Amino acid sequence: MRSKWIFIFLVFLFFFLSFFFSVSFGPAAISIREIGKVLIQGEVEGNPASVIFWQIRMPRVLLAFIVGASLSIAGAILQGLFLNPLADPYVTGVSSGAALGATVAFFFNLSPIPWLSFFALMGGFFTLLFVYSLARRRGFVSVYVLLLAGVAVSSFFSALVSVLMVKSGKDLHALVYWLLGSFSGRGWMELKISLIVLPFLFIPFFFIDELNILLQGEERALELGVEVERVKKILFFIASFLTAVAVSASGVIGFIGLVVPHLSRLLLGPDHKKVLFLSLFLGASLMGLSDLLARVAFAPSEMPVGVVTSFFGAPFFLYLLKRRGS
Amino acid sequence: MVKLRDVTFSYNGKKALRKISFSLREGDFVGVVGPNGSGKSTLLKIIDGILVPHEGEVLFKEKPVQKYDRKSLARKIAFVPQNFNLDFEFTVEEVVEMGRYSRKGRWEKFSPSSLMEKMGISDLKHRFFPELSGGERQKVILAQSLAQEPELLLLDEPASHLDVSYQLKLFDFLRELNKEGLTILCVIHDLNLALLYFDELIMLSEGEIVASGKSDKVLTPERIESTYGIRAYIHRHAGRTFLTFSPKLRGKRKEKIHLICGGGSGSFLMRELAERGFSVSLGVVNALDSDEVLGRELGLTMAVEAPFSSITEEAFKHNLELIEQSELVILTRVPFGPGNLKNVEAAVEALKKGKKLWVVGKDLKERDFTGKATEMLTSVEGVVFFESEKEVVKELEKGV
Repeated sequence: MRSKWIFIFLVFLFFFLSFFFSVSFGPAAISIREIGKVLIQGEVEGNPASVIFWQIRMPRVLLAFIVGASLSIAGAILQGLFLNPLADPYVTGVSSGAALGATVAFFFNLSPIPWLSFFALMGGFFTLLFVYSLARRRGFVSVYVLLLAGVAVSSFFSALVSVLMVKSGKDLHALVYWLLGSFSGRGWMELKISLIVLPFLFIPFFFIDELNILLQGEERALELGVEVERVKKILFFIASFLTAVAVSASGVIGFIGLVVPHLSRLLLGPDHKKVLFLSLFLGASLMGLSDLLARVAFAPSEMPVGVVTSFFGAPFFLYLLKRRGS
Repeated sequence: MVKLRDVTFSYNGKKALRKISFSLREGDFVGVVGPNGSGKSTLLKIIDGILVPHEGEVLFKEKPVQKYDRKSLARKIAFVPQNFNLDFEFTVEEVVEMGRYSRKGRWEKFSPSSLMEKMGISDLKHRFFPELSGGERQKVILAQSLAQEPELLLLDEPASHLDVSYQLKLFDFLRELNKEGLTILCVIHDLNLALLYFDELIMLSEGEIVASGKSDKVLTPERIESTYGIRAYIHRHAGRTFLTFSPKLRGKRKEKIHLICGGGSGSFLMRELAERGFSVSLGVVNALDSDEVLGRELGLTMAVEAPFSSITEEAFKHNLELIEQSELVILTRVPFGPGNLKNVEAAVEALKKGKKLWVVGKDLKERDFTGKATEMLTSVEGVVFFESEKEVVKELEKGV
């Protein structure tokens, strides 16, 4: 009982430290003392430290935290529903739909805000509808068909994205950057749009019992009184929405949604009460730290954050697999 | 409580249930038997509303099960599957608690301790479910279902992974629950357990109810033969009825063999030979002697003498007639006394008639309480002695 509270305390401590480090460090050196002052005073015009802190870092870090939490919660939900620990937020094809939407916007020279984000969101949303309708038969949704259809649709859309990229004849640097995932240049505007996910980050906590019971298979869940089809529909929608918003805000950032739920399960066991709680805070913190690394590692130039998450996430995931096997 | 009317269900065009109609009253304790693939599990799933019948309807308390929402149905009907997969490390306590879903509010805690104590699985409480043995899992699954506090409990072979002691404990426990008011419908493979525990049975075959009613009226040898395709024998022992089985005979009957036995010395061969398709006759055995009882159960032709009496001339003659009709005579390892000396005489007579005579056991002297039998058997030529019954069977497998 006591160890539980200590653990929760440690999680919060990690969360706040991550946040603090993320806003404190960057290519522009601002001393800790200055940070404290800037934080207390609020934004002061004409003070470069204050402007950098409030106009550039703060929204960017907050957005990274929200995207990290969204992808992790989506991953936790989908791994539970698919009964497959290898599922990640992108298996439903939503991300590739979003990427396609973004590429289309790029192709037609539309402005990043709001059009690119909007196209990405719509691309993700229609992909979800399409894949979902494929998996639906006589009122039942087959998670296997959903999984396979998602994979197929993903590669088809990736092909389309490549075709558009080749055909565009433009400088692809910005698009590639976007596709790999990055928080570079994101400000309050993007953050405000992404706040729409906040309620959806917490709705899954109302489905803890259902998520746990569904681990015993859909039939057993029906026997125990779960309205399986309704629950699946709601949770798929939430996971897809979280993913689509995350992708439209920052591109396709890999591995966070796959590794964080895993790590949570490894730390506290498979109970979704704990998995969701940990995914929320760890996902946010780790994304914040990844973005920090993306900013400072090769300063003044920046890496796409997706490169950082893959660089650390993939080996860590392999380590988990190896551990599981032994 | 439950009423099925003309329920038909098929999996991908293959009919699993055809026009099933039956009803359960409150407090019933009914078993469902039938060969693999006869539709037993399908029947349970239809009653629990997990499968939807293509034709007909299923009523629970006068209302179609499909009209209930899952949560309120789970408070009334619980289903105990044979097994389910849960590869995640939940403790047994947590797994049992999940069974409470339909009755508890969100975030509300339910402690399954008293239920687990009642079932005698408290010691499993903190074990991880994936680490349990098959039998332990079955108990936990039952506990999970009972956490629903249902009015009707459907069980799909709940004892299939349990050892014999737990099988009996389980059915005793179910009977107790039944006395407390729980209605129970249970698919069961073991026909002897079905006879022992269930007053009423439903027998399914190829998706149809072929019999229902009192257990001993349902499980008759004829019906078992026609549905399972095996031979069944009914035995009554110490006030209980039980069944034994043997594979159905294939092809034509083989040679006729006559056994001279008594006192249980012929039981092994009787059964082995009958199952191998030989036409077996017995003689002379005393009525109610264990060989006679088994012979009767196996439906063999016998020369019978009154209980505890010496063999009379009449029975002796009947014995000779049976010997006359057979190709081989086997004298089993029976003790010889004044009462059955006439059986030895008959054996020697068989030899004279040109029949083959096989004698089991070379320890004639030790079994001979007349002083004559050994002499009679060793003085004639052509007797083949065997060390044991098994050798006889081995020899017969080569052909008579």
